[in-house]
Amino acid sequence: MSDYIEDVINDKITEIKEKKNLYDTGRVMRIVDYIVEVRGLENVFFFEEVHIGNKAVGYVSKINDSSVIVSIVKQFDDIFINDEVRSSKKMFQMNFSPKSIGHVIDLFGIDKTTGKKFDDCFKLDIDNPTIPIMERRAVNRPLYTGVSGIDLLYPIGKGQRQLVIGDKKTGKTQLCLDAINNQNGKDVLCIYIAIGKTKKNIKDIYNQLAKKGALSYTIILTADNDEKAPVLSLTPYAGLSIAERCMKEGMDVLVVIDDLKRHADVYREISILSGKEPGRDAYPSDIFYTHSRLLEKGCQHEGGGSITILPICETKGGDITDYISTNIISITDGQIVLSKKNFDKGQKPAIDYGLSVSRLGGAVQEKSMKKMGANVKRELLSYLETREIYELANIDDMGAELQNKLLRGQELLNNFNQYKFSPREPEQILATFTSIMGDE
Amino acid sequence: MDKELNEKESIGKIISVSELNVRAIIGENVRVKKQDVVYCYIDGVVNEFEIMGIENNIISAIPFGSVHKLSKGIDIYLKEGGISIEYSDNILGHVFNSYGSLIDDGYIENPHRRNIYSRRLSYDEIKVDGDILWTGIKVLDFFAPIQKGFKMGLLGGAGVGKTVLIKELINNVYKGFNSNSVFVGVGERSREGKELYDEMLEADLLDKMAIVFGQMGDNPTSRSKAVFSGLTLAEYLRDEKEQDVLLFIDNIYRFVQAKSEINSEMETMPIENGYPATIESDVSEVEERINSTDKGSITSFQAIYIPADDLTDAAVQTISSHMDGQIVLSRKVAERGIYPAIDVFQTTSKMIDPDIIGKRHYDLVEEVIKYLARYEELEEIIAVLGIDELSSDDKNIFYRSRKLRNYFTQPMFVAENFTGISGEYVKIEDVLHDVENILNGKYDSINESKFSFVGSMKDVL
Repeated sequence: MSDYIEDVINDKITEIKEKKNLYDTGRVMRIVDYIVEVRGLENVFFFEEVHIGNKAVGYVSKINDSSVIVSIVKQFDDIFINDEVRSSKKMFQMNFSPKSIGHVIDLFGIDKTTGKKFDDCFKLDIDNPTIPIMERRAVNRPLYTGVSGIDLLYPIGKGQRQLVIGDKKTGKTQLCLDAINNQNGKDVLCIYIAIGKTKKNIKDIYNQLAKKGALSYTIILTADNDEKAPVLSLTPYAGLSIAERCMKEGMDVLVVIDDLKRHADVYREISILSGKEPGRDAYPSDIFYTHSRLLEKGCQHEGGGSITILPICETKGGDITDYISTNIISITDGQIVLSKKNFDKGQKPAIDYGLSVSRLGGAVQEKSMKKMGANVKRELLSYLETREIYELANIDDMGAELQNKLLRGQELLNNFNQYKFSPREPEQILATFTSIMGDE
Repeated sequence: MDKELNEKESIGKIISVSELNVRAIIGENVRVKKQDVVYCYIDGVVNEFEIMGIENNIISAIPFGSVHKLSKGIDIYLKEGGISIEYSDNILGHVFNSYGSLIDDGYIENPHRRNIYSRRLSYDEIKVDGDILWTGIKVLDFFAPIQKGFKMGLLGGAGVGKTVLIKELINNVYKGFNSNSVFVGVGERSREGKELYDEMLEADLLDKMAIVFGQMGDNPTSRSKAVFSGLTLAEYLRDEKEQDVLLFIDNIYRFVQAKSEINSEMETMPIENGYPATIESDVSEVEERINSTDKGSITSFQAIYIPADDLTDAAVQTISSHMDGQIVLSRKVAERGIYPAIDVFQTTSKMIDPDIIGKRHYDLVEEVIKYLARYEELEEIIAVLGIDELSSDDKNIFYRSRKLRNYFTQPMFVAENFTGISGEYVKIEDVLHDVENILNGKYDSINESKFSFVGSMKDVL
């Protein structure tokens, strides 16, 4: 709070010096939660930052014939009808400090662990236009997660968007933390974006990453559960905006978005409060675009840098065919499906090998991994299907060929088991599976 | 540009702004109509809008790009000619955006301009028959053969292989057909779009293809226009160059989706699942233009996304009613590692007619579907009782159906990265021959796994 006032005063002084202090004003006329309708403000532009007295900050989200709709992002005090609203002549932007690496931050440039604002913040646009199609390059460099089920069977390349999807408590976040942990010493900047997580969750993740020494290359960007909904809905864009900046400098960036189902729900909440027509499952019609333009920021750029995105999506009852899940699946370059059934059976990570997909496949693998991966995958999938058919049959009564197939399949499956934070190098993975498959 | 700005007279001023709807009040004597294009300047950059509705002297328009920084009172100007696309003999090899502008670094010599909405066909012009076109994809040629001027819909939920199939078709048909083509990317991944461009360039095929992209990172205006720009190019090749044209649209569902986003911002009442009430006429406007005439044919392959795996979705049903044939991809099949993951019971083509494909082919299709239908039932019985309880006839059906199912998988040229096996083009005679042999038990002694991901059985035996 005191930080905020100091900022406002400093901003004002510079503006007075630059003679930019000629503001438009208006008055609050309607309040629906964090959506405020304002009379006046004749000259504001779309997405301009506005202030309601010293009580709240928001941005213009719609300009009507005779009023303006403002979405509140920060509120310090109660807002009343007829409060004065001031324009700022500035676009609403995020604050970002180069010192953010290793810290838990939010889009206002605050270090959440100390509660203080970084002293060297600069402004960054939140939602940039997507990278033009002709500036993109083929995704073909592997990004190793250290998880053999992914690196061998459903590989991820630098610039790929790979969805991690599954029920609650199936290890989605853990899988992504494993991927972050495995980037140690590999010159990849990691950004973990938390949407609507509890503070306890975030502290836990921070501590885990700190213990593994992963904080030296990781930024945790969070919009906590108790933030205003517009902040939750903007934060993933803010995270990608940081990533984009780094990518254009030629860096490889790995972004984890945890999670998009929550983001969709927040976006639905805002839409309904703003009076938009609800569509399927009451989500607004532009929910696809909301996620597609976010995830399209992931790419291999012509300048050499890349953004790899691992969005997370939570499902209910293992159903990946609901509206939001299929929307996101249709945007990403593949999905890792985690199943509760596998998890309970002790298969960790609980990947459902039948439903997982990588649309880039071997294009992002080294030759030896690609060859082994294709062979193992074919055999494993055929085993899983056969196992289902012969579930009731007694294995001792089967022909030798079938018996062998089932035994070998089980052995393959067992070898994909891996505990958290125990990454395997590609050479290690190859050695393990060569010993089962033989040198084909 | 500045000179133009000074000379042109403003037709009105902006009065309201939301993400996808900009309204402006216009002068009394200004005559504008729906689909006209207006523009304004922000920090010297042109922002364009298309008019969607007019009420007295207030127009509602949808922006081509972002509306950030737009405010009340900004002057707007009228652009002559609406959305038009430049074309000439050298459109081929080039990439356009939805609004008809080039986005590769090329340029077009001596262009003509044509409004992207202009064309309508009469009964007299439309031609309905053509030669059969084999694709070399077993399951397609067998269950859903196509002909020149055909409209084929490829339906599938998220991630079951629509795009791979469309790329395989481009690879097989386009290379064999030796004709020009237009690819329209609507609301799909930019990465895939760029990959297609790169692959075509590498394979030296780009000089026979024109590409239009309005991909998923673009706003709904762009996604709803791409298909019109693409159609205009295809019509140019058909009408003025008198060619047989291949038109690939990936993905036509996204066009309807974009329309519903716009509809919602225009605050018109939607129908079920948020689709616009005008859904039927919107789709007809596009599909009725895709036809063959005496001058040339347009054979189109259109990917149709199935939202939430719901085949009864209003948009899917509306689009597929325009198709001459459809291939339905199913998640249940894909889960078992069978690619292309085709649901044979939903897959149809108007060509499945003994008078067109011959009695032998027709009878085989009937027989195979009968086998596979019984197999589905048997699977349930086996799950409870086990295989040993089946009669010997049913056992035959069970094992032969599994072979058939495996046989209809195919290594694809464009999927080498996933399978590690190089692609196969299979002739229809071979397919008929192999299917016959599986059905009559000639291959009973061969292990079922030998049938997976092969070309014809000639290669296996």
